[in-house]
Amino acid sequence: MEQAAEWYALLRSGEATHDDHARWQSWLEHSSDHRLAWQYVETISRSFEPIHATPDPRQTADGLWAANSRVIQRRRILTSIVALAGTGLFGWATWRHTPLPGIVLAQMADHHTATGEQREVVLSDGTHVWLNTATALNEAYHASLRRLCLITGEILIDTATDPQRPFVVDTPQGRLRALGTRFTVRLESDKTFLGVYQGSVEITSAAGTSSLIQAGQQTRFTTDASAAVEPADSARETWSRGVLVAWDMTLGDVVKELRRYRSGYLGIAPEVAGLRVFGSFPLRDTDDTLTMLASALPIRIQRTLPWWVSIEARTDADPHR
Amino acid sequence: MCSTDSSKDIVPTADSAMQQVYFLYSDHHDWLYSWLRHRLGNAADAADLAHDAFLRLIIKPAPRGFANFGEARAYLRTMAQGMCINLWHRREIERAWLDTLAAWPEALAPSPERQVMVLEALHEIGTMLLDLPPKAARAFLMAAACQMTDKEVAEALGVSSRMVRKYGFP
Repeated sequence: MEQAAEWYALLRSGEATHDDHARWQSWLEHSSDHRLAWQYVETISRSFEPIHATPDPRQTADGLWAANSRVIQRRRILTSIVALAGTGLFGWATWRHTPLPGIVLAQMADHHTATGEQREVVLSDGTHVWLNTATALNEAYHASLRRLCLITGEILIDTATDPQRPFVVDTPQGRLRALGTRFTVRLESDKTFLGVYQGSVEITSAAGTSSLIQAGQQTRFTTDASAAVEPADSARETWSRGVLVAWDMTLGDVVKELRRYRSGYLGIAPEVAGLRVFGSFPLRDTDDTLTMLASALPIRIQRTLPWWVSIEARTDADPHR
Repeated sequence: MCSTDSSKDIVPTADSAMQQVYFLYSDHHDWLYSWLRHRLGNAADAADLAHDAFLRLIIKPAPRGFANFGEARAYLRTMAQGMCINLWHRREIERAWLDTLAAWPEALAPSPERQVMVLEALHEIGTMLLDLPPKAARAFLMAAACQMTDKEVAEALGVSSRMVRKYGFP
């Protein structure tokens, strides 16, 4: 984490040389922990962007500082009145709001992948699980139940049969019980996405409502409500083979998908976001994908920094076509 | 969420979970409401937060349930403290932002959508900073919000840049 912060400071200072950039790249490539730390540093930095855009960031920050100081005062008074029973919980409550715990939880998980990484895991009962980019998963197999907990990201599961032990996946929004199947589960900010390709899956939401999703269907649900069931998009399954299949997707949606596989900034100009895209693209090397897109569409890939890439409309003046 | 406690393998049915919350509600709601009203000095806010507290328990029950009356109360009180602070924090940040906005000429004012985005960002960053040691929080805020280098931050705070680097990222 410290190293990531140091790199961030160096790159931001404007004093970084070509050599520095190269060393930073190899530091990133060195381990997935580095990439995770870098991602964290970047997530935090990105949350400051709206403030940079204000007429006077310094003044805005001073206002925030004054507000925070007043709250700290009041907090001190509040917590000194009552004995601090269970400080742990309060710490947890505020801690939850920062992106860090997600990363800490992910690193402590039984199985995890970094951004851009995909992995196949075979569990003790022969069940195959593919972890997509930036995913963390815990495994809790018991005598009476096979249970996985998805903490973040996306998984595709091909369950092995075991009539004695049901197979379930828990997410913050509820429990999915597999009835002999192949299905994918993905956590979105406050929803769980479920796509079923074989067999069926029973959803029990945290609030207790349940529904059955059949092969060829997909849905999203929150803790207490579930969206309409729609036909499963089988192209969604292809990520497990490292391929993104775009069948009449907008470029904007393709970019949204690619962002999950990349650290750093990937922007798109609004005037090209509506272009239609057909084809299959490698997810393991998203830079290749960008090059392929640029050769098929009237767009230009602008690489300001290795981690700052934006997609713009191509103009006639562009040298490379 | 994923404990090895196999007793948790049974999904609590909606009924039993609701029943638990119902008991909690009848045992503690009045107490919680008056606790909040005393701290907030406002009956409407207190009623809202008390309501929210039980709603949260329905959505996300306490991890291990409560062994007894005292434990439930301690949990609720800690939760209520956090909610009070969160409410004050939101209001303070909103006030500070409105003051800042008022100080700028109208022509410079960001669009209403932009203003909401800034407010959200301020709350997120503010929450993160609340739990840092004040000096480190200040240094980090200056560096990140004002895009100052370590050296500039060090000068502004009157400490060495080595110190600023030590504060690092939260």
